[in-house]
Order: sequence, then C-alpha cells, then structure tokens
Amino acid sequence: MSLKTSIQDFFIETAEVTKFALRFFKEVFFPPYEFKEVVRQCYEVGYKSALLVGVTAFIMGLVVAMQSRPTLVEFGAGAWLPAMAGVSIIREIGPVVTALMCAGKVGSNIGAELGSMKVTEQIDAMEVSGTNPFKFVVVTRIIATTLMIPILVVFADTLSLFGAFVAANIKGHISLHLFFDQVFEKLDFMDVIPSIAKSFFFGFVIGLISSYQGYNSSKGTEGVGRSANAAVVISSLFVFIIDLMAVQITNLFTK
Amino acid sequence: MSTTETHTLPDAVIEITQLKKSFGNNHVLQGIDFKLGHGENVVVLGRSGCGKSVFIKCISGLVKSDSGTIKIFNQNIFGINNRQLDKIREKIGFLFQSNALYDSMTIRKNLEFPLVRHLKLKSKEEINSRVEEALSNVGLLNTIDMMPSELSGGMRKRIGLARALIMKPEIMLYDEPTTGLDPITAKEISNLMLDMQKKYNTSSIIISHDMNCAKITANRLLVLIDGNFYAEGTYEELKQSNDEKIKAFFE
Repeated sequence: MSLKTSIQDFFIETAEVTKFALRFFKEVFFPPYEFKEVVRQCYEVGYKSALLVGVTAFIMGLVVAMQSRPTLVEFGAGAWLPAMAGVSIIREIGPVVTALMCAGKVGSNIGAELGSMKVTEQIDAMEVSGTNPFKFVVVTRIIATTLMIPILVVFADTLSLFGAFVAANIKGHISLHLFFDQVFEKLDFMDVIPSIAKSFFFGFVIGLISSYQGYNSSKGTEGVGRSANAAVVISSLFVFIIDLMAVQITNLFTK
Repeated sequence: MSTTETHTLPDAVIEITQLKKSFGNNHVLQGIDFKLGHGENVVVLGRSGCGKSVFIKCISGLVKSDSGTIKIFNQNIFGINNRQLDKIREKIGFLFQSNALYDSMTIRKNLEFPLVRHLKLKSKEEINSRVEEALSNVGLLNTIDMMPSELSGGMRKRIGLARALIMKPEIMLYDEPTTGLDPITAKEISNLMLDMQKKYNTSSIIISHDMNCAKITANRLLVLIDGNFYAEGTYEELKQSNDEKIKAFFE
C-alpha cells in the first residue's frame, strides 16, 4: 500500500470516528432513553472490572513505593515516601493503570461483542424490531464506560495507596494514620480534580473507539477478532494521548 | 399459469418496480420488478452472493436501495420517516440467515424483545401467554429459560422463527431458512413454515437454494441471475425447463 493511500485511509477513518462520535451526542440527549440497558452495562463495565483493576492498582502502589524508597532514603528523604507515593498515584498511576486495564478488558469485550452482533445480524434484528440499535447498543456502552471508569479510578487510587502503605511497612514502620496524614498533607485539589476529569475522557474514548470498531466490523469471524484487537490497541494509545493533553492543560492552571 | 394470475392480483401486499442497488462497481440488483400476492409463498432462488439477501433487506429497509419503488401495503417506503417505517415493520417478520438471536438474553427475553419494543405491550400476562404460544408453535416450550448458546442449530432456527412469528406478521421474509441444517431438520423447518402460512395466512418471500425447501413451501419460484429475475414459474414448471441455467439448480 502506497503512502498516499495510507494517509488517505487515516483521514477517512478519522472522519468516520468523528461522525460516529457526533451521532452519539445527537442520540444521547433525545428520548427514548434505555435506562435499564445503561444500568446493565454499568454493571458489566464497572462491577466486573473492579477485581482486576483493584488487584493491579494495589500491586502498582506497592511496587512504586518499594522502588522509590531506596533513592529517597539515600537522600535522607525517607519520610517523604507517603507524600511522593500519594501524588504519583493520584495524579498519574491510578487513572492511567485503570484506563489501560479497562481498555484491555472492557475494550476488547465491547469490540468483540459488537463485532459478533454485527456479523450474526443481531443489530439488524434489533432494527426490524422497532429498536434503534445505535441507541441500544452503542450509546448505552459509551455512557457506561464514561461513568464507570472515574469510579474505578477512585477505587484504584484507594487500593493503590494501601499498597504503598504496605510497602512502607515492609522495610520500615509507619502507622496507617500517619501514612494517610502525610499523603493528604501534600495532596491538593489541583491534583485530584484534573485526575478525575481526565478519567471521564478515558472512559469516553474507550467506549467510543471500542464501539466504533465493533459496530463497523466487517463480515466473518476474522473481522470480529480484528475489531477486538483494534479496540484495545487504539483506545490504549488514546489513553496516553489524552494523558499528554491533560498534563499540558493542568499546567496552564498550576505553577 | 400461476404467474400470470399473481401478476394481476388486486391485493398484492408488496409491489416493487425497477429496484436497483449497487455496492461500488458491483451492481447487485439491476431493475427488479416484483409482486407478492396475499397469502402467497414465493421462493427466490439464486447462487450465493447474487443479491438475494440484499433484495429482502431492501424490502425491510435494512439496506437503502439506489432507485426504484417498494410499496408495502400500498405505501412507498422511500422517503418515509423512521416512525412510519417502524409501523410497517410491525407487519413484517424477518428470519435471519444466522438466526440473529440475542446472545446475552434468555429465550424468553429474546421473544419478548419485539413485543415490548415494537408493540409496546405492558401486561405481563399477555406477554407471557404470547411467548408461550409462539414457543409451543415451534415445539420448544421447554427451552424458555435457556440461553441461545445452549441450543442446537436447528433449535435456534426454530426459536428465530418463533421470534419472527410472535408479532403475527402479515408478511414473512425468510433468509435461507434451511441452510446449514441436516435434511431432516430442514424438512421440519419447511413444514413449519407451511403450517405458519396456513395458521396465520401470511405472505412470504423465501430466499433459498435448497430445492427440497422450495418444493415444499413454494407457490411460485423466481430465479435471480445477474441482478434480475431470469425465470418464473411453479416448481414443476421450472423443473421441466430446458434452460441450462435453471437446470443447474435442480441437479
């Protein structure tokens, strides 16, 4: 494939995703609303990812604290461990690890599920049964990921801090009370708010990209596999791009 | 003989003129004229990929055609809004080639889906009785709380049929109803389709390349070749044809 056609394809794909996103905004505000299905999807996305996200976040908190401890001790700043772990977890590790894990678990799930629904004509069947399939299948999933990932991020932050607390107690000793006291002493609203705000965008983009890939899956089982794969790869990439943009925007407001 | 009769039928439920549809350079339907009489079973024969499925998807509005008119109960489906299209779709049942059962729902939920969403039925008793009736019609009442993945191919086909018929549609569109089934099950499905035609007096378009199914169900056959209807007649008439292209289907 020549360079020209790949550039062309890239722009066509970008336009298609944008159209897909605009269609989402057009349909999300107008009735009929699919409340029941939104709740079901929230359960699928939120509750069913909680264990995975929780374990990963706990391990990440523990590892980060253990890795940074020797350096901090070397500079005589061992007491800064809780504050440092707190800031890095809340600002960066919690949201990004959660989003990446969800891009993997939820994204591939949505990509494959919608892909197979498309291929086995379930989406057509909904359309002839008086249901707008875009609303029932796509809108509900994007709402669910947008709402659930920020909640998962808060959950992950909490467990991650506990992980850091455990790490701090492996080589030294610090009480739970003192640990969290020191964490919150250095935490600011300008750490927490941008971190939660960007999680909404992470959730939205995971839902959007995965649904787009699944909904436009081409015929055959091979297409389903490709959709699931593209859903994970592209939404993970977008998580980093949004993260990069978020840090720039946050820096405009902080010194 | 029967062909000329149906063409003059005053109560045609579907009337199509000069229907065209292309995908890029692939001209699938090239100006089709077609009429479906009330209570009639028409089988459309054709090779895989010749546009049979596209033809019935155009009728149900799932695929937008490029030009021509499709009149269903004397209403042209071009240029009507989604609500009007939904109203027409209430009277059309569609059996998909892959059955299109919703994987994430039980059989009961699958059958309730069109009732709740299309007819907006609220009464639990009415919904239940209709679901049970539809399932007994296809002899699978015992599967009501199972998931589609627990059923065999033939059972899924029958559930798909029950879901299409639960709306008591006046028109049924069958997309390859017997493909992928063993001959015995295929015959059962064909007979079931015939029973439903008698019971609810539905008019049907059956897309198939299974000659046994065509023999059982068809009042009239049409052969789709190169985007147009090449031949028309009863099963017996076409069977006696000397045309190589038609003979190929019967061999």
